[in-house]
Amino acid sequence: MGSNRTGWLLLTPTLVILGVFGILPFIYVLWVAFHQWNAFGANPYMIYNGADNFRRLVFDTEFLESIWFTFQFGFFAVVSEIVLGYFLAQFLMRDFPGKAVFRTLHTLPLIVAPIVVGSVWRLMMTPSIGIIPYFLDAWFGYQLNIGSNAGAAFVVTVIMDIWHWTPLVTLTLLAAIVALPKDPFEQAQIDGANRWQIFWHITLPMIRPAILATVFIRLMDALRTVDEIWMLTGGGPGSATRYIGLHIWKVVFPKTDYGYGSAISVIVLYLTLVLCWLLYVGLVAPRNGRRT
Amino acid sequence: MAEVTIRDIVKRYGEVEIIHGVNVDIRDGEFVVLVGPSGCGKSTLLRMIAGLEEISGGEMRIGGRIVNTVPPKDRDIAMVFQSYALYPHKTVAENMGFSLKIKGASKAEIDAKVRQAASVLDLEKLLDRYPRQLSGGQRQRVAMGRAIVRDPQVFLFDEPLSNLDAKLRVAMRVEIKELHQRLKTTTIYVTHDQIEAMTMADKIVVMKDGYVEQIGAPLELYDKPNNVFVAGFIGSPSMNFIQGRIRSEGGAQRFVSDHGTVLPVRPLPVEDGHPVIYGVRPEHIALGAEGVTVRVAVVEPTGAETQLFSRAGEDVIDALLRDRVDVRAGDTVHFVIDPGRVHIFDAQTKRRLT
Repeated sequence: MGSNRTGWLLLTPTLVILGVFGILPFIYVLWVAFHQWNAFGANPYMIYNGADNFRRLVFDTEFLESIWFTFQFGFFAVVSEIVLGYFLAQFLMRDFPGKAVFRTLHTLPLIVAPIVVGSVWRLMMTPSIGIIPYFLDAWFGYQLNIGSNAGAAFVVTVIMDIWHWTPLVTLTLLAAIVALPKDPFEQAQIDGANRWQIFWHITLPMIRPAILATVFIRLMDALRTVDEIWMLTGGGPGSATRYIGLHIWKVVFPKTDYGYGSAISVIVLYLTLVLCWLLYVGLVAPRNGRRT
Repeated sequence: MAEVTIRDIVKRYGEVEIIHGVNVDIRDGEFVVLVGPSGCGKSTLLRMIAGLEEISGGEMRIGGRIVNTVPPKDRDIAMVFQSYALYPHKTVAENMGFSLKIKGASKAEIDAKVRQAASVLDLEKLLDRYPRQLSGGQRQRVAMGRAIVRDPQVFLFDEPLSNLDAKLRVAMRVEIKELHQRLKTTTIYVTHDQIEAMTMADKIVVMKDGYVEQIGAPLELYDKPNNVFVAGFIGSPSMNFIQGRIRSEGGAQRFVSDHGTVLPVRPLPVEDGHPVIYGVRPEHIALGAEGVTVRVAVVEPTGAETQLFSRAGEDVIDALLRDRVDVRAGDTVHFVIDPGRVHIFDAQTKRRLT
């Protein structure tokens, strides 16, 4: 009994913080999602409108397009980050001069605020003053203008995300690789496996949990990215990089359509959960020996 | 199956040389144990045979082929690690069949060989389990099964029994020995445990500080150790060593310790006053009516044997008796030593004199 009470006592600060900043706002968003509410409109009061907001977004091409762009963005960014992060982690397993300096430098993007990352990339990308369009033009004769070329804008947002978040992937995979026991790899050599076979049959399955955890973290992050994109492209050109987080922001703030924005937020949360659940069922559960 | 020839093998890490020109010949089908205290280079030597460590100098042959630069995967060897090194994400059957799968064997062939090895090792019921669901002894068997399935030229064992409890260790020792008698595959086995070495080996290689101290059959090493190190390492409890000199009086020789204890010896080709180390195994000492007078400090009865920790003056002499004896701590008794079973080593070179 005594220890039970101490336990609850120790948990209280966390529960309070979680409740006030996590659960209450979430319930509030759910509540708002079932209302029409435009606080600065002619009628500033909440009006209950049932599932109207949800009905509306099923036919909202802007929303559907945004979801589709977001998944593309998430897919390309996360896959590239995992592949690149794995190679960097393997690279950092070797000894080379300047390794400690490199490791520190390569994690620097992680500590830069997203809004700053967005600003810097925007500066670098702006035609006529940016360094990247300048060199692309000077070396390859390619005119990069993310203000008018939708494809280029999409690619640049993906590259920016890769630049910003690959170090996180590198660090988590490096931690997983460092923790691997040495013996199974020697055993695999003796069993006759070549490098590729060792990677495919031994390394990959053994760091699989770390890869999956990283994919989950990065995917959830990528699906709700706002500030970097807002700073870099503002969602444009047109709506080419108007990923869902940005879309919600535009609905809620400039348009002050709180009810509809909340409904989109709820649906996006739901879709993210479904996606992670599908990934879990598809990738984690069947290989988990504990179940047999 | 194959013979293994180790010629002047040297291992260096940078400037530091840790194995200094080792020579060992291992015949086809032989069970050879590399034994020595930790840090003697036995595991490094085994890893060089496996190809997991680079060879800095000398020549290594497996089955007549020079393998110095051949990678482990092409050496056709199987190895059992101390940690067992099972693949944690593969079932027992997958662990055992992995090498065959890599070779591109058919599913039916893999299945047949895995089942056959599993039946030899009594693993049939565990084939679908994962390593984490097995006990230490079972994991050990899987590691051996993985080696058997390969049907390799040489088996390598790196302290495979060290992580097992004492009882299981004895049982597995017998099993490995039986397995070798059945398969007759050349086997190289590393251990720090001299009892494992004595009981399992056809031939023992005793190593210390990167040198081979002696190579021979177990009883050869026990009966005629080349030097003080081998004499002290082989045999349990350890041999008694007493520092002193050989004295000749009227044609008869005897040993007089630095503390004055007089002990019997066989005739030796050394002059009067030659400094030596006198060695006698505790099990070669008997109680008698007369002989060396000792005071018993501690008595350790184990049922089958009784060990007496005793002192002759300042010199420590332990005896291991087959019988139960009515001796208590503090008693004075007489030890009878058969001069024919005494080992005399040169005090300077530490080498055997007879």
